[in-house]
Amino acid sequence: MKSTKFWIIVISAALVLSGISAAAVLSWRGSGEVACIYQDGVLLRKIHLDTVTAPYTFTVTWTDGQKNTVLVEPGRICVSHADCPDQICVRTGWLSDGLTPIVCLPNHLSIRIQSNTSDAAVQ
Amino acid sequence: MELKKLTRNALLTAIALTIFMVEAQIPPLVPIPGVKLGLANIVTVFALFAYKKQDALMILLVRVFLGSVFSGQMMTLLYSLAGGLLCFGVTIFMEKILTEKQIWVAGVVGAVFHNIGQLLVAIVITSTPSIAVYLPVLLVSGILAGLFTGLCAQFLYGKLKHFGRF
Repeated sequence: MKSTKFWIIVISAALVLSGISAAAVLSWRGSGEVACIYQDGVLLRKIHLDTVTAPYTFTVTWTDGQKNTVLVEPGRICVSHADCPDQICVRTGWLSDGLTPIVCLPNHLSIRIQSNTSDAAVQ
Repeated sequence: MELKKLTRNALLTAIALTIFMVEAQIPPLVPIPGVKLGLANIVTVFALFAYKKQDALMILLVRVFLGSVFSGQMMTLLYSLAGGLLCFGVTIFMEKILTEKQIWVAGVVGAVFHNIGQLLVAIVITSTPSIAVYLPVLLVSGILAGLFTGLCAQFLYGKLKHFGRF
């Protein structure tokens, strides 16, 4: 038989340790946004938006030479320039959460944000 | 005597099942699956300390089975069974090394192992080992919830013993 004090110490220590690591896990998980750039349904590249430090641009080219310029900033992404006729992808603006994707139908481009966490359920 | 025992176990099972079903109606506080109070464990811990372990095991198994039948998701059965049995095994061990004033410890340790069992099943079913990162979160929730249910079981045990009711 251990004394009650022993159990209080052991359980408090376990609580503090798991509390610290839980805080670490949750804060790490909070910034796990990944932007996925698809062309015609094929994944071209993945960008971890929280690891972006300085803004940069890159260009996605479709078969006939149509171009979309994608601008990446810390935590968000947008299409800054496109040579498609409707310009819907440019007008969609910045994307920082997984609610609506940026889609450019003429150039077969779509940008979606996925959370970096597994959605697997633990009942 | 046998009839009295059967009635008593049936009553405890009904109580545990009711608590389980009522708790399932409470909306989750945090969006992390597996974080819950586990109030039905009060009955298991109490039965294990007050009666024999066969009685407690019977109450647990019937509650888990009927609970997943009534909640309509047989997937719950697998999670509850894994968590419940692991929790039960650990609580049997704890029962041997704890005094009557330390029943709450069994609640804490049991809840923690319940969460571990469920997490293991989740890893196997979804085959994504990365969800193990939720373990610390589940441990915090398990310790706090287990402390509450363990204290409940301890007070219940103390009161009933005081009245000489088992």
